[in-house]
Amino acid sequence: MAGVQCNYRTSGLIILFFISLFSSSACVSHLKKAKFHYAQGQEHSRRYHTEKSISSYKRALQEAEIVVSKHPSSQGYMLKGMAELNLEFWKEAEESFRNAHSYGFEEGEEWAQQLSLLGLASSMEALGIEDSSFRIYGYLLDKSKLKPVTIVAAQKYTDAMLRKALHLDGKERKKQLSSVLKEVQKLSDKDLSCGFYHYLQSQVYSHLADYRKSFEGALMGKELGLPTEEILRDNDLQIIFCYQNLKEELSSEEWEEFRARYSEWIKKWKWKGPETPDWKKER
Amino acid sequence: MFLKRPFWLSLRRNNINIWDQLLFFTPFALIHIIVYAMPKSPLEKTVENGISFLSKVFPLKTYLYFPLLNATLFWAIRKAQEWKEEIFSWKVWLDPDRIETKPDEFVLNFFENHTDLNRIYESEIRERDWAALREAFARLYPILGLGDPFLSALFHEEIESENYRKIVSGFEERVNQAEKDIETLEGQSGLLKGLKTFADQMLSLNLDLISQDKVQTVLAGLIKKHFEEKDE
Repeated sequence: MAGVQCNYRTSGLIILFFISLFSSSACVSHLKKAKFHYAQGQEHSRRYHTEKSISSYKRALQEAEIVVSKHPSSQGYMLKGMAELNLEFWKEAEESFRNAHSYGFEEGEEWAQQLSLLGLASSMEALGIEDSSFRIYGYLLDKSKLKPVTIVAAQKYTDAMLRKALHLDGKERKKQLSSVLKEVQKLSDKDLSCGFYHYLQSQVYSHLADYRKSFEGALMGKELGLPTEEILRDNDLQIIFCYQNLKEELSSEEWEEFRARYSEWIKKWKWKGPETPDWKKER
Repeated sequence: MFLKRPFWLSLRRNNINIWDQLLFFTPFALIHIIVYAMPKSPLEKTVENGISFLSKVFPLKTYLYFPLLNATLFWAIRKAQEWKEEIFSWKVWLDPDRIETKPDEFVLNFFENHTDLNRIYESEIRERDWAALREAFARLYPILGLGDPFLSALFHEEIESENYRKIVSGFEERVNQAEKDIETLEGQSGLLKGLKTFADQMLSLNLDLISQDKVQTVLAGLIKKHFEEKDE
């Protein structure tokens, strides 16, 4: 895991550095600056540096506003929408993404088109227009061949399905959860090395009260790497939650076997104890 | 500069008379003097500046020097038009969030396993008041569970005084206000500035006259040489 985090750090620095060059010469455009600040915001956000990320997204928004006022374009509006989405300006984001689509995307800009669609669905969902956003997530999950789009669509889709399942009872609830599990498993089968898909499976298994499988999913997610510090911590807390439940659930023989293996893992992760991850302050 | 022990000294053997040794070693000695005593080229000086800058920023991360300088170089030798194309095709993405919808058992476990929350939310836990518990969970889990540094700092006083209900009731307002108050950061980090200087110096050397591969090889050699000299 440390290696994965180190890779994130290294690639982050290299991205920052590439961006630095982009912002340097006379040929700088506001679109470039908007992308630079947006990427910086993402970097900060992944490391849980909220203040810096908000600051960068605001800067990205300022630049994108200049772009669309001087030379309106689909990419300009898309970036404006992305910055607004991250700043939780839902209405403005929705309008920006609609504008992006109205300008049309050129050949080779499928990534921007799909991202705009994803952004539109996210802002609609935040505004309470759930059915349409849900359909878009489903569509992107099915059709998109771009991994970053599929990952976000999978997360949004899973969360929305789990939210729906909470309001159902008995068989209906189980049916709903099985259906979302099937979708996530499909993604995982296509790309076994994506830690985030295992994290999603772990979360769904937790709703199904299958703590052994939930633990396995969280373990895979941790070992394969997760995209942000926040998700990584959430996944660690899921591991602990499973540990606590399995302690109650397993027979003493099974528990001893599980505990021995668990001890090996936490030693590897350098945790302070079975219920205290390395990043957690001891109470 | 002269401290480097020449490799050819390791070839020295005993039982050979001094004149033969002198005749044998003179060409090597001359080459060594030419290589190590020659004034440094502008390229060499620029690379040394780059390394010197990076050693201040990342004194313990020498493994980053080559990728960073090499990547700077990669962009520095490209022409403006190519830069522009790269900029316009540069893709940005959205990052996924964590799954916020947790099962009832997870929410309950969060409250029951936190000594203070268990006490403060005793009646809600006892009555299984899911609406109240879920509302409080949505506010408190990022702070007390995930240890969000921004929110923990924002609600520092309430955490210290264990006034968790105040966090829940004032959460939206306080967070929205804080987000509004954050100004955009002007200027860039020292790292970006330093690398930009390196790129500018590289550009001033007219590196586009030679191929990228050749410059890369030279750069790798210079970085290696820098560390070899430092080790001795």
